[in-house]
Amino acid sequence: MQRVTRISVNLIFFIQVLLLFLLFFEDRIQLPAWLQVAGRMHPMVLHVPIGILILLFVFMMFRNTFQKKQFRKIMLVCLMLASLSASVTALFGFFLSIGGDYGADTLQQHKISGVALSVITFFILLWYQNVKKGEIVFYSSVVFSIVVLVLAGHTGSVLTHGENFVLAPVTQKEEVTLNVETSSLYQLAVMPVMEKKCFSCHNESKAKGKLIMTSIDKFKRGGENGKPWVDGNPDSSRMIKYIHLPLDHDDHMPPDGKPQLTAFEILLLEAWIKSGPDFEKKMSDFAADDTLKVLATSAINAIIKREEVKQYTFKAASEEVIKKMNTPFRTVFPIYQNSPALQADFFVKESFQLSSLEELKEVKDQLVVLNLSKMPVTDADLKIISQFKNLEKINLNFTAVKGDGLADLKSLTQLQSLSLSGTAITKEALNSVLSLPALNEVFIWNTPIKENEKLELEKSFPKIVFIHSLFNDPSKLALSKPILINEGILKKGELLQLKHTMPGVSIRYALDGSKPDSVSGLLYEKPIVVNETVRLKARACKEGWYCSDLLEITCYVEGYKPEQVTLLKPADKQYPGEGAATLTNGLKGFTDVLKEPSWLGFRENAFEAGFDFGSKPPSISKIVLSYADNLGGYIFPPTLVEVWAGANAKEVTLIKSLNVEQPTAYRPQSMEALAISLDTSGYSYYKLVARPISKLPLWHGGKGQKGWFFVDEVFFY
Amino acid sequence: MSKEFIDHRFHITRRHFLGKVSLGLGSVALGSLLIPDLLSKSERPMQTLGLPHFAPKAKRVIYLFQNGAPSQLESFDYKPMLNKMTGEELPASIRMGQRLTGMTANQAKFPLVGSHFKFNQYGKSGAWVSEIFPNIAKVTDDICFIKSMHTEAINHDPALTFMQTGAQQGNRPSMGAWMSYGLGSENKNLPAYCVLLSRGRGNGQGVYSKLWTNGFLDSVHQGVQFSSSEERVLYLKDPEGRDRADRRKMLDHLAELNDLNYKEFGDPEIQTRVQQYEMAYRMQTAVPELTDLTKEPDNIIKMYGADCLVPGTYAANCLLARKLSEAGVRFVQLYHQGWDQHGNMTGEMALQAQDVDRSTAALIMDLKQRGLLDETLVIWGGEFGRTNYCQGNFSAENYGRDHHPRAYTIWMAGGGVKPGTTYGETDEFGYNIIKDPVHVNDFHATILHLMGINHEQLTYKHLGRRYKLTDVGGKVVEGILA
Repeated sequence: MQRVTRISVNLIFFIQVLLLFLLFFEDRIQLPAWLQVAGRMHPMVLHVPIGILILLFVFMMFRNTFQKKQFRKIMLVCLMLASLSASVTALFGFFLSIGGDYGADTLQQHKISGVALSVITFFILLWYQNVKKGEIVFYSSVVFSIVVLVLAGHTGSVLTHGENFVLAPVTQKEEVTLNVETSSLYQLAVMPVMEKKCFSCHNESKAKGKLIMTSIDKFKRGGENGKPWVDGNPDSSRMIKYIHLPLDHDDHMPPDGKPQLTAFEILLLEAWIKSGPDFEKKMSDFAADDTLKVLATSAINAIIKREEVKQYTFKAASEEVIKKMNTPFRTVFPIYQNSPALQADFFVKESFQLSSLEELKEVKDQLVVLNLSKMPVTDADLKIISQFKNLEKINLNFTAVKGDGLADLKSLTQLQSLSLSGTAITKEALNSVLSLPALNEVFIWNTPIKENEKLELEKSFPKIVFIHSLFNDPSKLALSKPILINEGILKKGELLQLKHTMPGVSIRYALDGSKPDSVSGLLYEKPIVVNETVRLKARACKEGWYCSDLLEITCYVEGYKPEQVTLLKPADKQYPGEGAATLTNGLKGFTDVLKEPSWLGFRENAFEAGFDFGSKPPSISKIVLSYADNLGGYIFPPTLVEVWAGANAKEVTLIKSLNVEQPTAYRPQSMEALAISLDTSGYSYYKLVARPISKLPLWHGGKGQKGWFFVDEVFFY
Repeated sequence: MSKEFIDHRFHITRRHFLGKVSLGLGSVALGSLLIPDLLSKSERPMQTLGLPHFAPKAKRVIYLFQNGAPSQLESFDYKPMLNKMTGEELPASIRMGQRLTGMTANQAKFPLVGSHFKFNQYGKSGAWVSEIFPNIAKVTDDICFIKSMHTEAINHDPALTFMQTGAQQGNRPSMGAWMSYGLGSENKNLPAYCVLLSRGRGNGQGVYSKLWTNGFLDSVHQGVQFSSSEERVLYLKDPEGRDRADRRKMLDHLAELNDLNYKEFGDPEIQTRVQQYEMAYRMQTAVPELTDLTKEPDNIIKMYGADCLVPGTYAANCLLARKLSEAGVRFVQLYHQGWDQHGNMTGEMALQAQDVDRSTAALIMDLKQRGLLDETLVIWGGEFGRTNYCQGNFSAENYGRDHHPRAYTIWMAGGGVKPGTTYGETDEFGYNIIKDPVHVNDFHATILHLMGINHEQLTYKHLGRRYKLTDVGGKVVEGILA
């Protein structure tokens, strides 16, 4: 007997430690199937401790009929069995709770009482084993364990059978269905707010501050501080005052950490108190423009809307079917996780095939959204769509639908939204589908339907919102500038190409410095031949639009290449570019990105470079110096430019010298091309000198300091 | 005697004690078998990826990011008090000693300055809009203004990074990457996350590719930057002398080679690469259709303004954003630079507004008339606000405003937000928020909520920790949900 006792006690101890451990890591447990079986045996096992504990209690009542020693033994056996079975039951129950889907609160109560019972019986057992006195303690703890047992049993029954299972047949159930006609404004709009934000603490069982808000009578009576409002005066009402206290104030309601009232809800409560507060009046008892009624109406609408998240009753398509439906050009997916409703989208017009629409028949019951925007779908194809009977939204924008087939869609009783923008649909054709019961929005922008026809439609179908053109601006706008396609440096013989994205635009241009307009200048018809760097000016014009701003751009053209280029004075250390090669490497820079290979910068030194054309020099009549103009960045045009020429580096004479006009105020950054025409030619060697500005002018932020000169290319023609 | 007996029973020997303990340990050991990740702490099964957690209000986002922080006081947050008090010192009770940037902290005076531009009320909602946004003023009934945004950063880079990625440091995935990770791509022929850049005419601030990074997420979720040139997606054309069939063959062989490599090394980035080649191949068909503007009706061009035909402008990006979104791109992110008006507010602000006003309003109308606005969320706003006092030399005619992270205005339209409303409020100086503050984390939580995602459940485990876009903060702003 002793050995059995010891083993059982150890076993119970083992189970209880296990149970407590598992409870602690509850949310991370993954239950193997065989333990789920054990869990499912909980409803069977649980009867054992109930029976034994009751038996123990009964024995206890009749303890005088036993011999003392005998009684003690019976008690020990009963206690042991009760404790063991209670522990096993609790453990199994725990397993069951992991897999099951039970109400959180009741489950928590059941868990606590179940575990408590197993622990209590265990302690009673230990006590009784070791202590021979203190019978009162023993008896009363047994009674206490019976109480816990009842509690555990009750909560367990609520879990399995639901609330009020036993007494349901004899208690009358009150079914309250709210209805705008028969229910009061309080029930419809005000109570739901308090239900969400107040009832959890101010109900019959919790009653914080002794305030019960769940029953109208008790609410009116108020809590420990009396009635929570002053009739008709929200500002001096306690409940409103508490709501407006700062969040960290002790009296702030709802307390910090609980869901707070929204501004709208506060407004509603204030208006309600101002109105009386009234618990009885119905919506129709208020005047239409009554503040409370207006607020209540939008509150009710919001509630209705929230409840509107649609529950679909049809069966979901299998995962394989959905997977099969997905191709690169057709996407089919549930509208959200675990929803049976599907959306189908089609993409890339060129890849559309009618068969891919027909294949959707496999999910015809599940489709609720269909997007065929821009696909070449015709009226005949609408027959296929008409079989997708649960469709709520169809997008047929910019399809080939003309309207004859729309009548087929009449079978779509769930259809709410129909987009037909950009189709050739007419009002008559549209009429055939507008009587659909659920339809509430139709998009008809960019269709032959006219504004006045839309108004007629609105009159005949007041439930439907028609969206027509939203943009009606009769004013004239300017076009965008034409675009030069081959920007940068043109190869020899390459043609200048202009374009404008808008169809029907004419481009006029000039290369001689004049400004073209809608009639003057040359009409651009084909790419333009250019032989040397030119300043292009062009404009786009179109009927119904103002001509564009002038496009002004310097087009650089590849010139003669010198055999050797040398920098006679080095560039500034910060902007060395690629050395002398920079000048003829064919790379153009940007006026605001200067530390890169296309630029050479000069400040202390003047720019001085030699260009050697070798023994057979070409006849050069023009030199173009390309430089940056970025006055904010201290980058100015050169003040003086000189051209020296001769047979070689040592024998050069000055053949041209010019002063460059200096700016008198800030101006936008630009790339400039300085063209230097030469009167004489036939030299093999050219030396180019350009001096940076030595003192920035008075109007400049850096007045008196040295300016910069930045050069990226030199062209010879 | 019985007492000694009891005492004896209660005095546990060491042997007894160890025996009991080992029993307890044994039971713990048995229990631990049920917890596979007790010690390894591996990933908790999360919601499956690729679908919204619940019914989404918006399916796509177009985020018109106004880079550099446009002044709320010259645009949508009307503060007549500032006009009345122009030139007077900012009251200490308003500033409350809060930190300023290094650019104005040493200023001797903080003269208040009111908006140079006039405000009017528009639409049924009576929203106040500045005169430099005449077109946005026409669509205010579709817009929900949030006037109580606030952020933690005070300088551009961290603030920008915070708005985009939920962290200031720039090592986290950006919002678009999270969307791509959580919701996947609707159209498999285009990236789920596209980025378009444009420059305004005001003082600009940088935009860096870290803003559209995938962070620690798989690199397929990275934002794809469209070029501002004529050719909006570079290197998409077949090389000269090669046709599509050649390309297909090449890709098939390449995939085989990559597959060999994958089998050897198991690097998931190899598969990502293969997927990207495949998508690029399909983009060769999908993109030309998207970027072709010649088929847009004349009144669309007029609506967005003629600039929409010039690649790289904000207007062109708005139009392209609509086309991308219409084609199922989950997240289109625009950045428009030039909103950093530390000085020359009157001149630059008007130019900036002129660049964005028409095409922004056009985007909303365009989506609406196609029936797409209710499933597309359009967001407009910058990274923080601007101060109510003048930076630099004071003049009521031409002034500047410094960075102000404590309150700023952004707006949203479409996809599940309440149209024609204003949420939150600043004090009459436009300095502090007095009602319904919205933190950047809340902003992110709300956008995810609108897309059908519970922001607490969209996580990614990295460096031993589960990361979220909203990090450890974020509450859905119920007040703006339709």
